[in-house]
Amino acid sequence: MSPSADQPLAALTIRADIRDARRASSWLESAALAENVPPEQVVRLDHCLDEALANVIRHGGPAALSSAVHLQFGVRRSAGARTAELSVSDGGVAFDPSTHDVFAPHPTSLADAMPGGLGLRLIRHCSDNLSYRHSQGRNHLTITVSWVDPA
Amino acid sequence: MAIRFEDVNEDLRRIVLSGRLDTAGSDEIARQFAELTQSAKGVVVYLSEVRFLSSMAIGVLIKGAKSVQAMGGRLALHVAENEVIIRTLESTGIDGLIPTFRDALDAERAVLK
Repeated sequence: MSPSADQPLAALTIRADIRDARRASSWLESAALAENVPPEQVVRLDHCLDEALANVIRHGGPAALSSAVHLQFGVRRSAGARTAELSVSDGGVAFDPSTHDVFAPHPTSLADAMPGGLGLRLIRHCSDNLSYRHSQGRNHLTITVSWVDPA
Repeated sequence: MAIRFEDVNEDLRRIVLSGRLDTAGSDEIARQFAELTQSAKGVVVYLSEVRFLSSMAIGVLIKGAKSVQAMGGRLALHVAENEVIIRTLESTGIDGLIPTFRDALDAERAVLK
């Protein structure tokens, strides 16, 4: 999370478990609404969080499942705009979703459609920026959503 | 998150999904949804009461549509004016693969053709 966040960070640690993803979503919604994040931006963040946690659980491997997932959330204010940052840190296999190609053409028929592989596309669609680093054996993904602040 | 269904007649099944179809919610309904779509009937899936649609939920819909199609039936989605769900379907291109309607009667007509 950026040290320039205007508001104190909200933080949560969960297990890499699908049941804890619901708890994380509730935490995010509460933290975002406490910062007056507009509901449509909360939905975007919520989508990113759900898909990011699903990727950790499905693809992170045994190391991911045996490690805690750390979440942080904060909001920054700049001239005419506000930016929410959500960080997801996990101990799974190194994977950078910010560079993964999700812009392949959509399948043109139901027969060609695959049930999987849409999570990264949704994360990219719902976020304004993704940044990633891998350090000390952990993935650190920061998801950014920005909006015009009329105040 | 809930799933319920109604067989209107031998040609038409309505499946109504509601609530939060996040990854956990999708996991909970996947098995029943798969069973309900192993049919040659026309199937309309009502998404107007769904407030969150994850990639896993979309995967469940794709599997179901393929299953219905393989049996000779058709599956369509009814989204009403649920803009959150419409945007999610559009962003993944699924609205171009599974017929998607704002009007319920249009959806039911489409699967009965």
